[in-house]
Amino acid sequence: MRSEILYPGAFPLVKIELSAGEQIKAESGAMVGASPTIDVESKMEGGFLGALSRKLLTGEKFFFQTLRASRGPGEVLLAPTVPGEIVILELDGVTEYMVQKDGFLAGADSVRIESKMQSFARGLIGGEGFFILKIGGKGPLIINSFGAIHRIDLKPDQEYIVDNSHMVAWSATTSYTIERASSGWVASFTSGEGFVCRFRGPGVVYIQSRNPGGFGAWIRQFIPVSE
Amino acid sequence: MIPHEWRETLPRMSSSPNALCFGHEFPTSGVPCLVQIGLQGLTVVFTSDGQEQQEDIPFTALSISVGGLDHDHLVLKWPSKQGERLLYLKDAELIRTFRRVAPPSVHIPFEQAASVARLARWRRMGAWGVAFGILLTGVAGLWWGSDLLVALAVERIPVEWERKLGEAAYRELLARQDLVKEGPAVSAIQEMTRRLVEQIPHNPYKFEVTVVKSDVVNAFALPGGYIVVFTGLMQNAACAEEVAGVLGHEIHHVLQRHGLERIVKRLGLVVAASILVGDQRGFAGLMKQFSVEFVGLTFDREQETRADIAGLHLLYDAKIDPFGMIRFFERLSANDEGRMEWLSTHPMSRGRAERLTAELAAMPQLTPVPFTFDWAAVRESLGAPPSAEP
Repeated sequence: MRSEILYPGAFPLVKIELSAGEQIKAESGAMVGASPTIDVESKMEGGFLGALSRKLLTGEKFFFQTLRASRGPGEVLLAPTVPGEIVILELDGVTEYMVQKDGFLAGADSVRIESKMQSFARGLIGGEGFFILKIGGKGPLIINSFGAIHRIDLKPDQEYIVDNSHMVAWSATTSYTIERASSGWVASFTSGEGFVCRFRGPGVVYIQSRNPGGFGAWIRQFIPVSE
Repeated sequence: MIPHEWRETLPRMSSSPNALCFGHEFPTSGVPCLVQIGLQGLTVVFTSDGQEQQEDIPFTALSISVGGLDHDHLVLKWPSKQGERLLYLKDAELIRTFRRVAPPSVHIPFEQAASVARLARWRRMGAWGVAFGILLTGVAGLWWGSDLLVALAVERIPVEWERKLGEAAYRELLARQDLVKEGPAVSAIQEMTRRLVEQIPHNPYKFEVTVVKSDVVNAFALPGGYIVVFTGLMQNAACAEEVAGVLGHEIHHVLQRHGLERIVKRLGLVVAASILVGDQRGFAGLMKQFSVEFVGLTFDREQETRADIAGLHLLYDAKIDPFGMIRFFERLSANDEGRMEWLSTHPMSRGRAERLTAELAAMPQLTPVPFTFDWAAVRESLGAPPSAEP
């Protein structure tokens, strides 16, 4: 598979070229267009129970779609639901990424996806829920964000602080702890940050430039209330 | 330089990268590498642009710790010529081999690192266990303690609110009904109510009883002291004491605030459900729920039984023959198949009559004081024959 990001920026598309017989998995509903040689199947990744747990626990889609070039080579266009950037990560078989539940867009068939329970404290106040996706394997992994994606490189033992609702994906070799933004409880919340995540390298952290929850709260004030 | 023979002592486990190496000149995401474990140390093989490059590290140079998001990586650190190097291992087979082969000098730090990882895992599971425990306790507490919570909530609602709630529903209900405003039936009901209410100590309610023209054999109470008696009930009652029995029962629904209990319970369910489902509009539906609740106000069987027993005592205190109430239920039980409409939540009438008989048997003998009105005349005023068929 060969992938290319079209229209980089807020409203990108991913064009993926598949050779005959090749297949990829994508978030269900992500397909925008495809060659007539491509077949779309829905698939319960990780079996029924795996899919069920992913649906119930991470809120991810129950089915992934499998796009297969079954009748010869072809191309597929994919796009996420929210406006925001798309990044293609090349998985080498060793590196694993933790991806928050809305971050996965598509991946090579050899990319492995599992949902993973976080520690209780991280789940409660980390901002990505109790379960996140752990993605490993080999091949391209395509993630998307709300807003632009910013990459933070962390050398061993280097630290960086990220607001908890801006995290998209981070490598499994990084660790993070959750702490209050300011030293006092009141200051933490009046500063508008509340909790932050202190990441520690080595590894890479991808963050999104906009906070979906914050945007939702902002837009809600303009929606007329029915009833 | 470390002799190559080291590596030959153990079989080559895999040929694809099985670890990530970090260092100052490496990319921050780490460089995939192949780690092989020999008897004296590690061999790390990097492949870049098809060229293999390898580094041998004796066990003695390694310092060992645990890393990664979930403390599930074995982290090996050593000083190399290019600066400090870090190796993140996750492959279980590789870690097992390392543990088996590593000399005693490495063994102790390895076990320390392993115990850090175990402790982190236990702490994580422990936190989940505690969280689930609290959740389960909460659910169980709500399940078993909901009655207590409802009772506490009901207790906090002032009678004045209850009156306003009841009155609104009462006015709306009566607006659509054909009322009996005066006449023998109304004065008979008023006399019964007066005699019963006089016996209630510290009565916070002002009871208002209305007679409504309807063939339905029933009466009902709304919160705040509003009671409706249907003419069908009076037409079917053989004597005034039977109607007084039903009145005593309804008065106790009010006194024991059964209506409020039902509303609080129902509201509690709606609120809990809307929180669980995350449906914000559930709250908007609450006011609608109020009106539905009033129109279809039904009590549960336990409330009915309590109102029966307390009603019987009230009749006794008012010196009204309690046998009237019992007789009424007996006659109802003969009609349980359906001619008389009676709400399904009511306990079977025969059981109620039996329970009341048993209760009455335990009370001292009573000399009833009869009512001042003539029941036959009341019945006639409602268009019923002077005496009901038994």
